Amino acid sequence: MSTVTFQAVTKTYGAVMALDALDLHVEEGEFVSLLGPSGSGKSTTLNLLAGLMDADSGRILIGERDVTPLPPEKRDIAMVFQNYALYPHLTVFENLAFPLEVRKPKPDAAAIRSKVELVADTLGIGMLLARYPKEISGGQQQRVALGRAMVRDPKVFLLDEPLSNLDARLRIRMRRDLKALHQALGSTIVYVTHDQSEAMTLSTRVAVFNHGKLQQYAPPADIYNRPANAFVANFVGEQETNFLDGTALMEDGQLSFSTAFGAIPLGRPASAVSGHGALRLGVRPEAITATQDPTAEARIVLTELAGADLFLTVRGRDAAEVVVRADARATRLVAGDGVRLVFDAQRVHLFEAEGGAAVSLGGESAAV
Amino acid sequence: MQRLIQRRRLLRGAVNLLIAIFALFPILWGLSSSLKPTDQIIEFPPRLLPSEPTLEHYIRIFQDGALYYIGNSMLVSAATIALTISLAALGGYALARFDFRGRGAIMMMVIGVMSIPIASLLVPTFTLLSAVGLFDTRLGLVLLYSAYQLPAAMWMLYGYFMSLPVEVENAARVDGCSPLRTLWKVVLPLSKPGLVAAALFVLVFAWNDFVVAVTMTSSQETRTFPVAIYFYLGFYGREWGPLLAASLVSIVPIIAVFVFLQRYFMSGLTGGGVKG
Repeated sequence: MSTVTFQAVTKTYGAVMALDALDLHVEEGEFVSLLGPSGSGKSTTLNLLAGLMDADSGRILIGERDVTPLPPEKRDIAMVFQNYALYPHLTVFENLAFPLEVRKPKPDAAAIRSKVELVADTLGIGMLLARYPKEISGGQQQRVALGRAMVRDPKVFLLDEPLSNLDARLRIRMRRDLKALHQALGSTIVYVTHDQSEAMTLSTRVAVFNHGKLQQYAPPADIYNRPANAFVANFVGEQETNFLDGTALMEDGQLSFSTAFGAIPLGRPASAVSGHGALRLGVRPEAITATQDPTAEARIVLTELAGADLFLTVRGRDAAEVVVRADARATRLVAGDGVRLVFDAQRVHLFEAEGGAAVSLGGESAAV
Repeated sequence: MQRLIQRRRLLRGAVNLLIAIFALFPILWGLSSSLKPTDQIIEFPPRLLPSEPTLEHYIRIFQDGALYYIGNSMLVSAATIALTISLAALGGYALARFDFRGRGAIMMMVIGVMSIPIASLLVPTFTLLSAVGLFDTRLGLVLLYSAYQLPAAMWMLYGYFMSLPVEVENAARVDGCSPLRTLWKVVLPLSKPGLVAAALFVLVFAWNDFVVAVTMTSSQETRTFPVAIYFYLGFYGREWGPLLAASLVSIVPIIAVFVFLQRYFMSGLTGGGVKG
C-alpha cells in the first residue's frame, strides 16, 4: 500500500495535449476515480502511472519512490484492463498464478497454490480454476482479471474501466463487490471510468478531467454539491444540470437572478457576484419544485417517468427549458399544465458565462 | 428438388475431380513410373500403370545412401528453421511493438531485400562463403538459407504479432515480465499459428533448395537430398527410375510435417483473452 503523487506531469501526442501539467496526490488506502469523457486524459493518466507510456515532463511517485523512468514491471503495481486481457493460453489457475510465477524470487509452488486458492475463494471463482478464459462467462472473466491483480499485494491497484463491458445488472453488483473488496483490502486504488455514477458510488475522492486538464479533485459529495465549474456540474449527476442565462439584481434588499422563469433568490450577499462579468445559473432537477398554477406562464411540455421519479420538462419565456424532478406518486402534473417553479437557493450554483468557473457561494469556497 | 440438389452435387464433384487430376497428374505419373521396370519407363506408347510393379528403384536409392542425404537435408532444414524463426520472432516483435529510431527504414529494407532474386546473389555469396571458410559446409548452407528467408519470415511474424491484442502484453508487463519474457511467456505461445506458418515457409525453401546447395557444396559429405537426386541425371545417361523414386521420397517428409502441424492452423487460439 502506498501513496501516489503526480507532479506537473505533461503528455502530448504530437500536437494534441493529452495531459496538461497534472498535479494529483492519492493518499494511502484511498479509492480515487479518474472521471471524464473519452479523450479527457484520464486513461493517459493511468497509463503513465502504469508505465505503459512515458511522460514528456514531470514526476510520478509511488510512495516515496520516483517511478518516472521505470518500466511497468519494476513499479510493483497491479492493473485490471477494460477488456480483461487474460492470458488465453493459460487456465484460470495459471492466469491467477502468473504474477507470482514471474516474481523474483519466485515463491515455491505450495505458496503459490495456497495464495491463488485464497484469492479465487474470495472472488467466488474457486470452481473455475481448471478452465480456460474462453470457457467462462464475461462476469467470471472479470473476476479472474480482478483476482490476478489481487494475488500479489501490490503497492497500488489500477483499474481501467473494469466494469464497462458488463451488462447493467452485473455492473451494479460488481460495483458493490468492488467497494466491499476495497474496504476489506484497504489498498490504494486508482480507478478510471467515464461513468459518473461509478465514480460517485465507489470513490473516496473523484478527479474530474476534461481536455487533458484536471477540473476538480474532491470527495463525491463536494463534487456533486459544489462543482468547481460548469463542466463538472454538467458531467456529474444522473440528470443534466439546467443552465439558465440571466442577470443578477437586487430586489427587496435581496440578491436574485433574473431568468426566463422569473427572479430566482440567491440567498447570498451582493458582494458574492461582483466582478465576475456575465453569469449563468446552474441548478439540478431535484433543486427545483414545481407546483400547479394555471395562471403561470411556464408550461410542462414533456414528462418522463423514471421509476420513483417523474422528470418534467418545463418551458418558460423565450423557449427556455428546465428539467424538474417530481415525486412520481405524489404528482398529478401532466404535459400542458401551467406550473410555478421554486428554486432551492442553497442548491443554486452560479458560473461565469465566460469559461464556466464557479462563483463562490459567498464566504464558502467551491475551489478545487 | 431433391434431384436438382443431387445433380448439383454430382456436377461439383466432377469439377473437383477434374481439378484434382490436373494438379496431381504429374505426381501420380511419377509414382506410376517409379514402380515400373526400367525398360517400361521409356517405352512408347506409354502405359498408365506398370504391368509388373517393382520396388527396385526405391531399393536402389537407399543402397546409394539416400538416407544419409535425407539426413543432411533434415539437419540443414531444422537448423535453418531454428535460426530463422528465432531471429524473425525477435525482429518481428521489435518492429511490431517498439517505437525506435530507424524503424521505418528497417521495415522498408526488409521488404526491399525480399525482392532480390537469389540467382543474382549466388556469385557474391559463393565468394563470401569461400573467403570465410564456410564453402562446402552444412553450416554455410544454414547461414545462407537463413539470410534468404529471414526477411519474409520476419514480415510474416510482424503481421501476426500486430494482430494480437496488445493489452495482454501490457498485462504481462504490469504483472512483472520484462519485454523479452513477455515475448517468451505470452506472445510466442499465442503466436503458434503464425510461427508454424513461417516455419513451414522456411522449411519448404530449405528442403527443396537445389541451386544454392549445388553451388555452395561439392563433397558427398555435405550433399543434400535435392542435389543427390540430380546426380541420377548423369553424364552418360538418365536414370529415370531412381530419379523418380527419389523425388517421390523427398515429398513424403514435407507432407508428413504439414499433416502433423495442421492442428496449429486452427484459428481462435486467442479466444477469451480479451473482451470488447
